[in-house]
Amino acid sequence: MVNEFRKNLAKIIHLRSIIGYNGLVFALKKTPVIGKLIPDRLYSTTFLKVIYWIFHIIVEVFKLFIGKIFGLGMIYLAAFLLSDQYIEHELGGGMSRSAVFGNLGLFMFLLYALCGILIRVPYFNCTTEKEYLVFMLRMDAKKLNETLICYDLAKLFIGYVMAGIIAVITGAPFWLWLGIPVLALAVKFLGIGLQILSFRLKIKLHKSLKISTVAYLIRLTLVLLAGPFFIVFIANGYFIPMPQLVIITVLTVIAGIWGLMIFIKTDSNLHRRALHDNISKTEVKATSQYDNTKSFKKFKAKGTIKGNKKGFDYLNALFVKRHWTMLCMKPVIFTIIVVAVMILLVAEFIYGYYSRFGSENCWNMVITNLVNLFTFRAFSDALLPVGDDPAFEFLRYVAQFHLLGMLIPLSIADNSFKSTQAMFINCDNSLMTFSFFKQREKIIRLFDIRLKQLIKINIGPVIAIGAFANLILFVTGGQSYPGEYLVTFLVAFLLSVLTSVTWLALYYLFQPFTTSVVAKSGAYRITSIIIYSVASIIVWIPLASYILAPVLLVFAAGYVLFLRSRVNKLAPKTWKIKS
Amino acid sequence: MEFVISHLVKNYGSKQVLKDVDFVFEEGRIYGLLGRNGSGKTTFFNCVNNDIDINSGEFFFRGESGEKTPVMPEDIGYLVSTPTVPEFMTGREFLKFFIEVHEEIKPDKTIDEYFDYMMVPEDDRDRLLKDYSHGTKNKMQMLLNIIAAPKLMLLDEPLTSLDVIIAEEMKNVIRNQKQGRITIFSTHLLDVAVDLCDEIVLLHNGRLEPIDKSNLGDSDFKEKIINALRDEDNG
Repeated sequence: MVNEFRKNLAKIIHLRSIIGYNGLVFALKKTPVIGKLIPDRLYSTTFLKVIYWIFHIIVEVFKLFIGKIFGLGMIYLAAFLLSDQYIEHELGGGMSRSAVFGNLGLFMFLLYALCGILIRVPYFNCTTEKEYLVFMLRMDAKKLNETLICYDLAKLFIGYVMAGIIAVITGAPFWLWLGIPVLALAVKFLGIGLQILSFRLKIKLHKSLKISTVAYLIRLTLVLLAGPFFIVFIANGYFIPMPQLVIITVLTVIAGIWGLMIFIKTDSNLHRRALHDNISKTEVKATSQYDNTKSFKKFKAKGTIKGNKKGFDYLNALFVKRHWTMLCMKPVIFTIIVVAVMILLVAEFIYGYYSRFGSENCWNMVITNLVNLFTFRAFSDALLPVGDDPAFEFLRYVAQFHLLGMLIPLSIADNSFKSTQAMFINCDNSLMTFSFFKQREKIIRLFDIRLKQLIKINIGPVIAIGAFANLILFVTGGQSYPGEYLVTFLVAFLLSVLTSVTWLALYYLFQPFTTSVVAKSGAYRITSIIIYSVASIIVWIPLASYILAPVLLVFAAGYVLFLRSRVNKLAPKTWKIKS
Repeated sequence: MEFVISHLVKNYGSKQVLKDVDFVFEEGRIYGLLGRNGSGKTTFFNCVNNDIDINSGEFFFRGESGEKTPVMPEDIGYLVSTPTVPEFMTGREFLKFFIEVHEEIKPDKTIDEYFDYMMVPEDDRDRLLKDYSHGTKNKMQMLLNIIAAPKLMLLDEPLTSLDVIIAEEMKNVIRNQKQGRITIFSTHLLDVAVDLCDEIVLLHNGRLEPIDKSNLGDSDFKEKIINALRDEDNG
């Protein structure tokens, strides 16, 4: 039996090490730039495998010490500190300090361990190593689980015994030292037994044995809800009398033995089925690229295109119609939030005016301003009482000289990157196999249509951000030259155009996406980082809006034309499916 | 018209996939490009379709009087083994769009007649392409290539994983469409190549080698091809 356990454990650790090492090399090979320098023979380099193996052992030991010793150590530390308080405030009901330490330590550990089995019993999750061993190498599922559970419980026992030594030195009773590790094993077996019972019930009901995420969240919530009760219990100096605590402990140990019996009696088929239904591929997920194409496939054949749109206009209109939520939801939500904030600010401003100058003045101010605004377009005089506020002066300075800063909220609202992902995965990826799609004039035609579309999608945030900046101008004294409000909107619009054209042109010039929508191109990433860096410096440059607007207009026109010409020249070669 | 490939070389790092491809394909014939898995058939198609850069060599069309014409994207129809179609469109919408963007095409059929020609089921025509079966997606791809009427049709294992009925329908369409163009049909299945193609070309050791198909009835024919492909291992 011991020999078989040793053999199985060796197999598991060996496979775990292979999966871990190969996963690491695979991840390195997928890293931009560095990946190309790493040769395939790294997979078979014994020296590096040995280094990885040593590293793996260090991690195991680290997990043992940090996970087990730290977890229980915190409980002992809390019991140590609380026992002092209980004794000092005479809350221990006549118990010695050591007895209080033992009582609180046992109580907190019971709570911790029982909550633990509610949250996590990991033995039936099927990791890659389990999947290989059971479903490919035909290893007995029960023997595999037995081996892993024994290995895990041995680590737990050793870790807890070591933590207990420190506790005994600091005044814990001796029985706590060995009692807690035994109790921990019992609680673990109780968790396993309960899990197996739930599997048996599911089998009777002809349900999948997949461990439900919803049930997990409910259990987690229950555990979290227990937290405040525990704090109140301890903060009031309560404790469970020792006889009752011992009874609970004994019952838990008996329940643990019952769990162990259930575990022993369970046949291999249940283990195999439970593993089959709970395949998680955690190692593969950690090292491979995340496939998020599913989020891009949520569209339905709703509606059709009215009017006489043809060709690429028709394609684009259909694309937007079927991807409206994906493309427009973020800018729309952003716009709603900005508008809501503006309404709150206006309400707050009016309320401030009301509390300072009374309802009659406030009412007059609102009416006068509205009348002035709609008839004479002049309203600043009525706001003068608050116009001298230094905070308002600062905000006015920002709204007049730091309009480039609007690039930050506009970039947050901008959805162009995700839009290019959707374009690729749901449209271009397939059309690129058709020759017409790679013709220069057709590429640039679609580019123009899409650029207009992205600009249209961002128009909501542009108006909202522009209105926000203008609201600041309005509140702090109104425009300082005719047309300043329009200039603010123009700057916001131009900044949005720059953002949209950048993402779209980068997509056409580098086409970075794989069929799993991962941006794989190193050049794409580097160019994006450079653009981000330059933009993050530029946004801080102070420039009066009447200078900024014409400069930005010329720059944006030149920038769009330049990128368009690059796309026209290079995209027939660069805009293709990544091999 | 001929499609001429001259000394085409394609390497992936140090691995030479196409060593020195030199071949002339003639109009009106179906060429079965036969090679083992991983022999470079898809790479060859991707090179011709300009999806990947070649290391050296050239390819072009040669007219009746011997004049060279460069291969333009619109000259090529490429049917990939795993059909990819814009999934957010219905079959009808896609066909409408496709005809509209090909302004040079004067369609002689209505959209439904095209569907009928390719035997696309009626209840599929107004469904999203993402809900199409593999075979129907393949038919859609083929149909679009037929409408575009390219000079050179590249078919990369188009019958793989199709059921027998759809495979047979596709074979008939390919046969009916061979006039006026060059069709290159890649497969690793010898029987399919023998059944469908006028000529068989082996992609062997990074080179194209014609196989004499005149003795098709000869029982040694298949054996000969298998032996030729086996040589690759020894080479």
